[in-house]
Amino acid sequence: MEVIDELIGQAGTVSADEVDHLLELRWKLRQYDDAEGALKLFCEVRLRMEQRHYLAFFRMRRWLENHLLASVSICPEANPQFVPVKLDHYCVEAIRRASLCLALRRGYVLLAPRLRFMFREVEFTKGNPPSAPSRSLELAEL
Amino acid sequence: MSISTAKSPVAVNKDPKIVDGLNLVLADSYALMALTHLAHWNVEGSDFFPLHKIFQEQYENLFEAVDEIAERVRALDAYAIGGLGVLAKAAEMEEFKSPLPQKDYVAALIIAHEKVVDDAVRTRNEAGTAGDLQTQDLMIKRLQWHEKTLWMFKSYLKN
Repeated sequence: MEVIDELIGQAGTVSADEVDHLLELRWKLRQYDDAEGALKLFCEVRLRMEQRHYLAFFRMRRWLENHLLASVSICPEANPQFVPVKLDHYCVEAIRRASLCLALRRGYVLLAPRLRFMFREVEFTKGNPPSAPSRSLELAEL
Repeated sequence: MSISTAKSPVAVNKDPKIVDGLNLVLADSYALMALTHLAHWNVEGSDFFPLHKIFQEQYENLFEAVDEIAERVRALDAYAIGGLGVLAKAAEMEEFKSPLPQKDYVAALIIAHEKVVDDAVRTRNEAGTAGDLQTQDLMIKRLQWHEKTLWMFKSYLKN
């Protein structure tokens, strides 16, 4: 949040439009329950602003990577597996595909895969993602 | 012939908080050195030559620094921590994996330097409070180098 506040506070380098988007992103991150929405908004803002504010967006990317998981189910009824999210792309669908590929590389069999993004329940522990996220979100059909 | 019974300066200044602080800065510096070395090996892109060179200068500086910090711990009649696993655990520094875009190496190292700065500031202040001017001086010297490095890195990222 401090990173976003700092960005907003930089007079002359952030347009009014961008301030609105940043405030909305800040609100979504603070709410911590709409990972899909937050990620989509982050990607839009990133595409628009990153080249002018590279370090700030790197910090946000790092924070999001530490706080997001991709919940992957091989079919709608199956229990989900969780993979970390890497924000190497600027588009949510590309990130979704990359997360699916990561799941495949880990040996998950994917019949009719469903993937949704969610916030981690607990503080990220290096190398050990939490086993059971608590927030439920709408599934993204693929 | 008289034997002095005055306490040595080392005994007066040996403060567990200062020793712990120095060991933490030692761990941080060691971890940062490893990350900088990784960036030196793996950086790619249009800025390869200057970044590859600057990363080398930085890990060489850090290599000398860790020795200086560890020897300060010894001068305080305490033991320096060591071993890759022990240092990594103590530093708790977030690591990165290659490959990365060249700007990401710089941004990731900025975050790592900031952690060292935070811990060095705390140790500097504790040393000042305890009257350990030598440790304080060492921390000030390290802080000057880290802050200069941060300025240069942030300038590189600014568009």
